[in-house]
Amino acid sequence: MAGGLLRADAVTKRFETIEALSTLSVELQPGTIGLVGPNGSGKTTFLRLLLGLLSPTSGTLTVLGRSPQRDPLVVRELVGYMPEHDCLMPDLSGVGFVAYMGRVSGLPREMAMSRAHEVLEFVGLKEQRYRKIREYSVGMRQRVKLAQAIVHDPPLCLLDEPTSGLDPEGREEMLGLIGALSRLGGRSFVLSTHLLPDTEGLVDQVLLLNAGKLLAAGPVQALLSTHDPETVIRIRGDTATFGAALARRGVTARSHESELRVVLPSGDSGPVFEAANETQTQIRYLGPSVRTIEDLFLSLVEERPAVASP
Amino acid sequence: MSISAPRYGAAPVVRTGRTTRTLAIVRREIVRRSGVGTIVVLALTYLAITLILVINTEFASVTGQLSLTTFETPYSSPIWPFLMLIVAATAGAGSLAEDVGNRSITLYLSRPIRLIDYVAAKAAGTGTWLVVAAVGPGLVGLAIIGILGLAPTSLVLTGAGAFLASGLLAAVFFTGLALALSSLTTRSLYAGVSIFGVVLSLEIIAPLVSGLTGNTSVAYLSPITDLLSVAQSLFGVSGPFATNPAASAAILGVGGVLLAIFAGWRTSRVEVVGE
Repeated sequence: MAGGLLRADAVTKRFETIEALSTLSVELQPGTIGLVGPNGSGKTTFLRLLLGLLSPTSGTLTVLGRSPQRDPLVVRELVGYMPEHDCLMPDLSGVGFVAYMGRVSGLPREMAMSRAHEVLEFVGLKEQRYRKIREYSVGMRQRVKLAQAIVHDPPLCLLDEPTSGLDPEGREEMLGLIGALSRLGGRSFVLSTHLLPDTEGLVDQVLLLNAGKLLAAGPVQALLSTHDPETVIRIRGDTATFGAALARRGVTARSHESELRVVLPSGDSGPVFEAANETQTQIRYLGPSVRTIEDLFLSLVEERPAVASP
Repeated sequence: MSISAPRYGAAPVVRTGRTTRTLAIVRREIVRRSGVGTIVVLALTYLAITLILVINTEFASVTGQLSLTTFETPYSSPIWPFLMLIVAATAGAGSLAEDVGNRSITLYLSRPIRLIDYVAAKAAGTGTWLVVAAVGPGLVGLAIIGILGLAPTSLVLTGAGAFLASGLLAAVFFTGLALALSSLTTRSLYAGVSIFGVVLSLEIIAPLVSGLTGNTSVAYLSPITDLLSVAQSLFGVSGPFATNPAASAAILGVGGVLLAIFAGWRTSRVEVVGE
């Protein structure tokens, strides 16, 4: 695929005085991509640019080798979009709504209806498909939003906060559906979320944004292995005193919840035990850290704190 | 919850074109507005206009005064403009307002259609109901008159042409007005009330100001006065008219189109995706 799945070259988007995205350059390959960042980091703006609903202030963008700004209709034929907010048509039944969205996406009438039934069965709304959407629960509404995004079988789905408003069980089910769809193959997903744990085990690439700036992008495994492996230390005692003792030995400790995380030079744990001896601290646990996307995000934010946009 | 993969057909899908996609929205818009309220108002309109036409024609036949002007009576009656306003409010007030209010406009504009397709589809949906309300009753009334033999066929056909022309003009204007007011709010109720407010206010204020200032051109501001002038001219009523019929026709036609364009511009300013 020419240009990969998504490609942004120095894309900047300003809204009057707010810079929502700042010189974003990234190239992502087909797969399941986590678009991750806190609220206000530019995720939705990026999705709007991908759909051709906005034009970048500067820079260029391609989706599946096409420019959303020059060929918005072609791009939107290839993309399914699940918005974050409630945007359904309450007067329609589930199947009527999904079939209608299929028709507006370019499916012939009969095919739109048959696919509406298929995708609603897939998202677990087979029994409720003839009920009016106004009668649906929050979880059912999220599912029908996913169904309308995939009804026309697009090669790329943009899912904006798909677990928004769901209880833990509903969240697990929604992530399970997205995982099942991505495992089918032949379809890529951009999963936009501020809930970093939602991406764990689900995405194979990640695009980390903070305050409109790119923190990191690429395959998850490669990103997690680029940083030196951390060691987790849990102690009984004052972590600040222990951290100071480590610092005197040239080891910088990062406090994470009730534990300390350090990068040991050459994996030598000697400085840890020396610091423990000096501060009379009991070490309860010493072991390698299993890094997550959340860890990566937090460490990158610490390394490169975002500068607030003017 | 059962998870089974969608079993899409193996044959590649031939996508429909923009026109077909837009027509899907038009169909939805027409069906969406076919509520009990719209149907009742339309039924009343058809009944009232047909009765007015038939009774008036029968009376004119008896008195020997039957002419094309006989068919103009519905426009002079306050019933018809009032029912037109109700149809404009029930069929058009929610067309854009509801989509912006429930944010389903996001789903439309993230699909392979252009904004102009979306607004045109909304206009076509609303316009269909207004054509049914503005043109249909006159044609049905004249058809019954023709079938009953109350008037010569040539006169009935001429009257039908006049109803068609004046009705289409009314439909264009009220469609534009309904869309424009619908684009200004997220509540269809507000838009519906505004349709009545704007038209009836102008109907009262324009002649008042015109009379006080002596400036007759102010009368053009009232769409009902404009419509009446055009209809009277088409049905062969001898003047003088409150406004110049040709100028009034231009105001209604161009005004309707400009109002629809305004609605499109307003819709383009809607924040369609983000919070």
